[in-house]
Amino acid sequence: MDVTITFAGFFSQVLVGLSRAMILFIVSSGLSFILGVLRVPNVAHGSLYMIGAFTAHGIAVLLGEGMVGFLAAMIVAPLVVALISLIAERALFSHLYEREHLMLLLFTFSLALILGDLTKMTWGADYRSLVAPPVLQGSVSIFDTAVPRYNLFLLVVGPLVAVALYLFSSKTKIGKIARAAAVDREMVGAIGINVSWVFAFAFVLGCFLAGLGGALVAPTVSITLGMDHTVIIEAFLIVIIGGLGNIWGAMVGSLIFGVSQSLGVLLWPQFAIVFPYLAVVVILTLKPTGLLKSVW
Amino acid sequence: MKRGHVWKATLLLMAGWWVISALLLPAPAAARDIKVGIVDTYSGPAAVFGNDALNGFKLAVDEINKQGVLGGKIVFTTRDEQFKVDIGLNMAKELVMKENVDVLVGTINSGASMAISEAVAKKEKVPFFVWTAKSENITGKAGHRYVFSTAENTAMAGKSAAVALSQKPFKKFWIAGDDYEYGHALADAAWRNLSKIKPEAETIGKTWWKPGEPDLIPYLTAIQAAKPDCIIFATGGLSMANVLKAIKATGMKTPAWIHTATDHSVLKPLGMNAPEGVMGTIQYHYYYPDLAANKKFVKDFQAAYGNPPGFPAFNAYTTAQLIAEGFRAAGQIDKEKFIDAVEGLKVDTPVGKVEMRACDHQAVYPMFLGTTKISKEFGGAISSDIITLRGAEVMPSCEEIAQARKAK
Repeated sequence: MDVTITFAGFFSQVLVGLSRAMILFIVSSGLSFILGVLRVPNVAHGSLYMIGAFTAHGIAVLLGEGMVGFLAAMIVAPLVVALISLIAERALFSHLYEREHLMLLLFTFSLALILGDLTKMTWGADYRSLVAPPVLQGSVSIFDTAVPRYNLFLLVVGPLVAVALYLFSSKTKIGKIARAAAVDREMVGAIGINVSWVFAFAFVLGCFLAGLGGALVAPTVSITLGMDHTVIIEAFLIVIIGGLGNIWGAMVGSLIFGVSQSLGVLLWPQFAIVFPYLAVVVILTLKPTGLLKSVW
Repeated sequence: MKRGHVWKATLLLMAGWWVISALLLPAPAAARDIKVGIVDTYSGPAAVFGNDALNGFKLAVDEINKQGVLGGKIVFTTRDEQFKVDIGLNMAKELVMKENVDVLVGTINSGASMAISEAVAKKEKVPFFVWTAKSENITGKAGHRYVFSTAENTAMAGKSAAVALSQKPFKKFWIAGDDYEYGHALADAAWRNLSKIKPEAETIGKTWWKPGEPDLIPYLTAIQAAKPDCIIFATGGLSMANVLKAIKATGMKTPAWIHTATDHSVLKPLGMNAPEGVMGTIQYHYYYPDLAANKKFVKDFQAAYGNPPGFPAFNAYTTAQLIAEGFRAAGQIDKEKFIDAVEGLKVDTPVGKVEMRACDHQAVYPMFLGTTKISKEFGGAISSDIITLRGAEVMPSCEEIAQARKAK
């Protein structure tokens, strides 16, 4: 084997890994937010990501798969997921917040199975593919190596979502209340704030991010049943290594996960699949509570 | 004795004889239905293939049952193995032990098929038809009297790939694929045959991903950085569409061969955005060969299910024909006699006669070698410039099968 690793190959691989990390961040930050504020380990988060992808495809096809259809899909699909989650929160979750974590885990697992079957009933078992608008198709040459344009687009969108989340949680009143509720929800309730609606808002926002992740990932993968399983495992691992409930921890965890996977493919392709999990094992061995401060 | 008394006595004797005969002679075997137990994947990403196979089987069984088999019908029951080996194995056991099925059928998962073949079919002496899983080991080194394959296998696909790739000016190859039984078996078969035909060919690297890995772009960018002349993708249904999508997304120009890349169920979701120029092999296209029987099959299938049939539907249709004709030839519902009857049996299929080879229980199919090309008429990519390789050209010989089983 006479393969040598060039700087160009390394650089493009880092870029692709970072773009993959952006999707993981958007999904896992939503999961982390719900974990932090509501203490709910939402296994159904992956199902909402899958519904986001299927909905985005449906909207894009309806509007002709051009730039208009793509942008509409990216905006409307997360809102549809948010609406579904609002109904689920008011009808189901709002009555269960005080239950034990194990009970909540089983409940959300059941919900994931139900949503999986509903997805199959609604969209069927066929593969689907969302096409990016022409401007985001193909690749650009960076240091003589092809990097897909859509991945560069994700590199822009990811940090924008991160900044928006930061501004929301630190500059808005409801964001500050949600952060306070994450630390001490009894105290937030004691000072007269309607905690029920704060929780509803936090849940819907977290699920919106799952839907956004599903919509954004749709042009890079096949939209299929079962895409929820892979992402929920990765998202939980990211949340755990980043620090439970810490959104910036989700960012750090996503970067580690995405880049280690991408570089693993380049450095040791025969065993590429173990790299991100190896990183998780090393981190949890050295720092069992995660890299950043856990709110639990 | 009066004539009237003689007449009455004769009638009494005849009636007595009839009653005694009826009591003493064994009753003729009542016609009963043939029970088929299907274990396949009906949830998750591979469900698209499981459903296609089931539809092909239903279509064939509906036709067969109009005439019936040995005075009865073929009836079937399904179980969802969820693409998991342990679940598939338990369900196959349940179908044999509780449902008392006469024949087992399934599955898309090569690992599950191998497990069912060994732990259920062989142990319980129940004929098992593998209709979608493609590992050559199923009817190769792990083959036995009770397992049949109506799927084309990795040995056939690998040989087809070798024939195609050996005629191209490629020397440096990269092998990439699903990290499970099917992926490794396909890669081994392709490389084993290619290195035999073209000794100067070399593998400059290998990459394995977990089956169904959603985002393959990081893998493809890394492979392209190594600049191979050609990539051999050993992927199955779960990853197939993802590979094609990643090829398109990265604008990959490196030539590639992928078994079943030309399958319409894989190309259809990509529509006009499917990558062109990808080499693929498969044993069935709904639009090729242009035979009356194939046209009828496609028309009936489309009328019943709204889509053209894929290769799993074709395999399942062939399986149903083999089951019906096998029992008809056996003359009774007896598993051992059925197996004897199916060995070497030739049945009519949409693409002509298909033989179940007696020496290894492998269906003999031709392989269609082609490259993806966008067609406005079909609204997406189809296989173009199709070259047909006869079954005998691409299958291991009976001697090779015997040696492989002996070596095991």
